[in-house]
Amino acid sequence: MTEHSRPVGLSLPIPILLGLAWLVPGLGHVLLGRRLRAGVFFLVVVVAFLLGIVFDGELVTPHPGDPLSYLATVASLGNGLLFLVARAVGLGQGVVTAAAYEFGNTFLLTAGMMNLLLVLDAHDIATGKKDW
Amino acid sequence: MLDHLSLMVLDALLIAVFFTFLWKRGRKERWLYFWKVFGALVVGAIVLGWVMYPFPRG
Repeated sequence: MTEHSRPVGLSLPIPILLGLAWLVPGLGHVLLGRRLRAGVFFLVVVVAFLLGIVFDGELVTPHPGDPLSYLATVASLGNGLLFLVARAVGLGQGVVTAAAYEFGNTFLLTAGMMNLLLVLDAHDIATGKKDW
Repeated sequence: MLDHLSLMVLDALLIAVFFTFLWKRGRKERWLYFWKVFGALVVGAIVLGWVMYPFPRG
């Protein structure tokens, strides 16, 4: 591979690359030149996140006395910028009485965990552990 | 409003697409893997639902 065609992501410090990968689903893969996969990942994570919001799911923050909420918080934070923006505009509060509340939670947590896996995948690509 | 089965299938679909593109390359390999994961999630959830059926709530 020539210097000209070298993906931008490979010249970034790993923590910066991983931070960007966390912030926007698929951005890490775009920067590493994996555009098709990046597009699919972006679509899947964003659709899952939006479904979670539409179905009145909760973007979990720690609840005192509920240890599992800490794990759920990690998964929710995994959504990166989506989490931050949604919380900033008051979305993702969770409506416990909504019929699809649990499914909303499932979609939101699934989206966050998928994005965290994308960060790990971007790390593997950037460090040469994965060559595609 | 979608019913719970449809929502579960939709979630399974998204997860199957995600893992297919995360772990597999090549068209044929991806299709095969997608159907395996998607089928396992949907059938597994339905089977688990039936297994849990005799257990009382609460």
